[in-house]
Amino acid sequence: MKVLRTLFALLALAVFAGPALADGPAIGTAAPAFEAKTLDGKPFSLADAEKTNSYVVLMFIATQCPYSNAYNDRMRDMAAAYAKKGILFVGINSNKTESIDEAAAHAKKHGFAFPVLKDPSNKVADLYDAKHTPEVYVIGKDGKLLYHGRIDDNSDDAAKVTSPDLKNALDALLAGQPVAKAETKAFGCSIKRV
Amino acid sequence: MRRHSDFGIRISDWGAAVAALFLFLAAVVAAAADASRLAGNVDAKGLAAAVAKDRGKVVVVNFWATWCVPCREEFPDLVRLEEAYRARGVAVLGVSIDLPKDMPKIEKFLAANRPEFPNYVKRAGGDDQDFIDAVDPKWGGELPFTVVYGKDGKKAKVLSGKQSYADFEKAVAELLK
Repeated sequence: MKVLRTLFALLALAVFAGPALADGPAIGTAAPAFEAKTLDGKPFSLADAEKTNSYVVLMFIATQCPYSNAYNDRMRDMAAAYAKKGILFVGINSNKTESIDEAAAHAKKHGFAFPVLKDPSNKVADLYDAKHTPEVYVIGKDGKLLYHGRIDDNSDDAAKVTSPDLKNALDALLAGQPVAKAETKAFGCSIKRV
Repeated sequence: MRRHSDFGIRISDWGAAVAALFLFLAAVVAAAADASRLAGNVDAKGLAAAVAKDRGKVVVVNFWATWCVPCREEFPDLVRLEEAYRARGVAVLGVSIDLPKDMPKIEKFLAANRPEFPNYVKRAGGDDQDFIDAVDPKWGGELPFTVVYGKDGKKAKVLSGKQSYADFEKAVAELLK
């Protein structure tokens, strides 16, 4: 009986503990393929998006996170500007606490012309090991991850940004150059997983 | 008719003096309590020095912000943990990631939660990435985030995202053995 209890406890630990900090895809390796639905129910396939765009920018976003919301205008403007250069921006809402309706209202309010996906079971967030919002990933035509991290270094004031990291990465790629700073970090709201 | 003491001081003066003394002492106690909760600004180096001061104890460093809902939700459990484990050699340090302009919000939050452990505010300026990497290279910047140091001062555990009281208790209990 004692052995059974110990075995059960070990099994429970294995199931519930999990890795404390798993690793997502490394720069230069394949970005995990996935399919999801946009807020208005249309199917989205990363593999298809890679084929029809020069680069795809995945942005894990939120409706209630002040850090993510600080970037709403910047995301809207960058998505519009880079769409003309063949780059597709895609928002992903993986927060269990934010409904499809709430995310749709948020996207409309902030003029997001780019598709926003709902990731109801954190499937996509888990594939990328995305930790917080906003957190972005740039993927090339060959499906490789080229940039991961922040949009820039100043969430508080767009006018005081000294390191526009996402813009730098995209401009370098469009110019056929390697991304100088391919991994960056910033504070953000942890993704509320199911 | 006013009564006078043997020293010629009116009773009403004594009353005022006692009231003033009481108010002074209350202010001193309140200031001390506030000081124990808000410990000043800190950079990564300063934080490492603060952790080192508690060598010999299990030190729990929690990074939070007033705008972070799960941080606000888990904070009372840290207050409870520190109270329950203080005598057993556990120290808790809080670090707010709020911007300096949000100091009134920080003070209000601490006044509502009344932690008995010190809370620092991350020093403004510099690249946040440098601070994040100095705390833990594996940290992506998500909040809340907790680092637990063993009695030897070495980093023993990192806890990403909101934790339960049982999670915190488990993390420190293992290191107190």
